Amino acid sequence: MEKITIHATERSPAIDFDFASNTYLIKGESYPEDVTEFFGPIMEKLDGHLRGQSGENISFVFELIYFNSSTAKVLMGLFDMLEEVADEGNEVAVTWCYEEDDDNMQELGEEFGEDLVQATFILKELPLE
Amino acid sequence: MSYEIFKKEQDALEQAKALVDAGEHGDGEAAKHFEALLNAYEKLFKTTRRLVRVSDRNEAELNKATKALDEKNLMLEGLSGKLGKYLSPQIYEAIFAGVSDADVRTERKKLTVFFSDIKNFTATTEEMEPEDMTFILNDYLTKMTEIALEHGGTIDKYIGDAIMVFFGDPDTKGVKEDAAAAVRMAIAMQRRMVDLRAKWSDMGFKLPFHIRCGINTGYCNVGNFGSEQRIDYTIIGGQVNLAARLESICEPDGVTLSHETYTHVRDAIDATPLDPIQVKGIRDPVTPYSVEGIFDDWNETERYIRRDDVPGLRIWVDLLRLSDDQRRDAVHELEEATKLSKNVLIKSLCSSSKDLAVCSFYLY
Repeated sequence: MEKITIHATERSPAIDFDFASNTYLIKGESYPEDVTEFFGPIMEKLDGHLRGQSGENISFVFELIYFNSSTAKVLMGLFDMLEEVADEGNEVAVTWCYEEDDDNMQELGEEFGEDLVQATFILKELPLE
Repeated sequence: MSYEIFKKEQDALEQAKALVDAGEHGDGEAAKHFEALLNAYEKLFKTTRRLVRVSDRNEAELNKATKALDEKNLMLEGLSGKLGKYLSPQIYEAIFAGVSDADVRTERKKLTVFFSDIKNFTATTEEMEPEDMTFILNDYLTKMTEIALEHGGTIDKYIGDAIMVFFGDPDTKGVKEDAAAAVRMAIAMQRRMVDLRAKWSDMGFKLPFHIRCGINTGYCNVGNFGSEQRIDYTIIGGQVNLAARLESICEPDGVTLSHETYTHVRDAIDATPLDPIQVKGIRDPVTPYSVEGIFDDWNETERYIRRDDVPGLRIWVDLLRLSDDQRRDAVHELEEATKLSKNVLIKSLCSSSKDLAVCSFYLY
């Protein structure tokens, strides 16, 4: 499957999904006008690819600065998907990055990571840019 | 006991789980559906709680950002208010309303230009303490500025004790009205000076401060002059120089007008022509006019008798300018004019009326 590379805009995050190496990145701010339109096709492709994986090393990195409630719902669905993929025998590492003074993003990461049992959850502090 | 916003949902969930644990949630397919529904509800419940928290956090962040923005706005407002004092209020408002851009641009317009200064200011204040001089000058400039703004003038600049004001940009009421506003402003300033001299005298400053005012109307270049780094909103041109020249020849406590300004205000202002003067840059001699008073001003109601709004009737008397003998002559002239008018009126009425009673009424 071809890579998905979408550049960040003022309202939507950068997407860098490399299916061949199973490395995925969502980075930036996320409050798209239409969450379904933005995330729908990406999530569909991701779901289609990950469901067929077995015994693979999968790395998912989140580097978000801000996201709205609709994006939060998408992220929760994505965490569920990753947990299921891990449950199916893949090594899944989810890295949640937050800037060093961003308590809000740190707490959100901690909450989102609560449900991951099979997948490995890593909370990573990044120095301020 | 702490308040929990999701207590009702939590209780329902706990009760359902208890039923499952006790095996009291039905049999067979129904039990499976119940368990699936319970799992889905538990997940949805968790999602809802998280979404509410995300929403609350975002709202808190937004409020924090709004507060910071408000503080910044307040700071900028204060700063712009301070900077605004370096500008004429009309220019400040035009820039902040987005009507005017602060770029180097000028245009040609007919304006009325006013100059004033305090006669012998430097010599008079030489003996004063700097603090006293600062107080007097600021008091003077403050009062004069108030008057200029009341009359709609654009304050161009203060040059020491001199004030330069113009009318016609950025706001104009028409050339004639602008000229009248400038002259009325000058007269108001001279009247305020009487009060100021009395006030300063009461405060112990024995300063014989007297101002001179010069006003001219003509085409000027108005706008932003300067460079991209530093601009001045001002006016330039020969007509500006003429206003300054008229101010320099003005008698203390007086207001001197150019011929053009006088022609715009002659319906409302009484002025006397002075000896023509030669002005640098202007070929022909210029006739200045010295302002005597305002016809329609309540301060002058006992001075002027003036009617010229009816075709065929024109009466103009300046009682202050006449000597006693001249006043007697004026009374005589008016009585003669009254008699003559009455006779003409009676003849006219009698020739058109058969009623003798009407004629005899007018005869007495």
